[in-house]
Amino acid sequence: MRSQFRFRLRLILVLLLLVAVTIFVRLYFLQIIRGDDYSQKADRQFASSGSGLFDRGSIYYTLQDGTLISAATLETGFLVAINPQTIENPEMVYRAIAAVASSTLSYDDFLVAAAKKSQVYIEVAHHLSDAGGKSLAAQKIPGVQVLRERWRVYPGGDLAAQSIGIVSYGNGNTLAGQTGLEAEYDSVLSRSSDALYKNFFAELFSNVGDVLVNARDAHEGDVITTIEPQVQTRLNEDLAKVNKQYSSKESGGIIMDPATGAIIAFATYPSYDANDRTGVNPKLLGNPLVEHVYEFGSIMKPLTMAAGLDAGVITPTTTYNDVGCIHVDQSTICNWDLKGRGVIPMQQILSQSLNVGASWIATKLGPDKFRSYFTNLFGQKTGIDLPAEGRALLGNLKSPREVEYDTASFGQGIAETPVQMIRALGALANGGVMVQPHLVSAIRLNSGITRTLDWSATQHVFSKEAAREVSTMLTHVFDNELAHGADKIPTTSVAVKTGTAQLTNDTGGYHKDRFLHSFMGYFPSYAPRFIILLYTNDPKGVEYSSETLTSTYIDLVHFLIDYYNITPDRNLSIQ
Amino acid sequence: MPFSVTQVLLGINGILVIGYFALIAVVMSYAALTVEFSQSVRSDEAVVAALETQYLNKVAEVSTTNFTALGYTKPSAVAYVQAKSGTALR
Repeated sequence: MRSQFRFRLRLILVLLLLVAVTIFVRLYFLQIIRGDDYSQKADRQFASSGSGLFDRGSIYYTLQDGTLISAATLETGFLVAINPQTIENPEMVYRAIAAVASSTLSYDDFLVAAAKKSQVYIEVAHHLSDAGGKSLAAQKIPGVQVLRERWRVYPGGDLAAQSIGIVSYGNGNTLAGQTGLEAEYDSVLSRSSDALYKNFFAELFSNVGDVLVNARDAHEGDVITTIEPQVQTRLNEDLAKVNKQYSSKESGGIIMDPATGAIIAFATYPSYDANDRTGVNPKLLGNPLVEHVYEFGSIMKPLTMAAGLDAGVITPTTTYNDVGCIHVDQSTICNWDLKGRGVIPMQQILSQSLNVGASWIATKLGPDKFRSYFTNLFGQKTGIDLPAEGRALLGNLKSPREVEYDTASFGQGIAETPVQMIRALGALANGGVMVQPHLVSAIRLNSGITRTLDWSATQHVFSKEAAREVSTMLTHVFDNELAHGADKIPTTSVAVKTGTAQLTNDTGGYHKDRFLHSFMGYFPSYAPRFIILLYTNDPKGVEYSSETLTSTYIDLVHFLIDYYNITPDRNLSIQ
Repeated sequence: MPFSVTQVLLGINGILVIGYFALIAVVMSYAALTVEFSQSVRSDEAVVAALETQYLNKVAEVSTTNFTALGYTKPSAVAYVQAKSGTALR
């Protein structure tokens, strides 16, 4: 019994020794024979999990048939990092990386990085393609780590770049939306760091509520805009042409559905390529259409006319005596050609764009009523879903001086943002009701539910009759006055008004020879599908907006009629 | 055979140990699949984005095409005619 016990003890001892020897041999192989390999592997794993992969929701354009096209999405590839302490031949390493990385990898910069022997991790190349990254990793170059990376891409490049916005580090150390929709909807687009790697069972034991009803899924998702990429492209190109042709400081345009406030295109020139912002002037990152204010000039006259009609101080058949120039509060207000027209009806104020006529309506309204109408139109921000919206400058409407109201009646002395202007003008196209301009129609949540945003808030500013009467006048302008009626479309009624405003100078006065040209219009006139606002700032060698922006407007009208197959609203007799 | 509490407890213990390892296996597989699927979705999205970039580039190309330079001329006159029904056109 005792010898049997001893035998068992020795057997266990031998087994333990065998296990110990096996472990020792295994450790020898792991640490000595293949130590370097495992060390590098561990290095890569540490770096990879330490940095994590960037994740963010997408932003979409919406084609007219409802198809979604990415405006901002993610691309996956590789980054290359080096460990200067273990690099053996920097020149050979550079050649290997440069063969798969973009040409922007500078040889000198790489050598400087490789010489930093006190550091163990320096990223030298980003945004490698999948194939390039894998081929570099397969070479197993000592001191070179090829790690997974994900980054933001904008398939449209400069298409609505200022509206879509950008993602960057800003002041913090996490990537976040800084401008445009990227900033406005950052809470929807940004992703919790653990979202990708969440562990169902761990969550089940630690947080049952989150598994059953995930709070993040209720607010994280993708953003669906109302921007139509083909229309946006057309507007982009048209504005670029105008800006280049007249060497303007900048040009801008908005195309909106006046009934809903959905913005179809929202463009400015110059813009920038959202995928390559190297050397971009930071001023371009903002959006002039919501942040800057302009004195728009005569496109304000239809609003003055609508206010007069709505208040009942004039009717379409009312006449006045146009003397060409009037003297108000020691200032002189004149028509553009300094000429009087005699006794003429209201239509002529819009047809011939008469400043004296607009001032006459303002005088008929009186300061209180004029202030009330224009404060309703421009006194508040539009609430558009973009950051840093500016406020209109309406200080002149607090003045007791009549001349301030007279100049405001034809769009000088008060300044508005382009988006405020199109919202106000949209009331003429929408039965006297202002809508809320917006760029995002819905949020597609991670839970799979699409949440439509509510933009139904409206503001009644003019009577339906007043809006219709102004529409009739503006249609007359297009059919008979603009290019002497040469652009009239027999099948579709179109309403237009041009504007030419003097630019302010540094001394508080106005330049005699520098202008902002504006152009507004909507069609079909009595049930409009689209309202368009265009402007070009400080065009050279040309005086009136009818010369700079008419062809742009006509091109957009014909494009939209064709693209949206807009039903004719005029009876065309067979010829 | 007499009832043995020790054996019953050992049996339960064995089942729990096996269950524990099975649970770990399921959790790890689930986590691996989650990551794999997420990455696969992202990769597919990137492929779609590349196609969308091509599409938007083509749209821009068409918009900027100078048809006059390609030999096309503007129509000398444009006449608007009343559209006829599809039936009448047959």
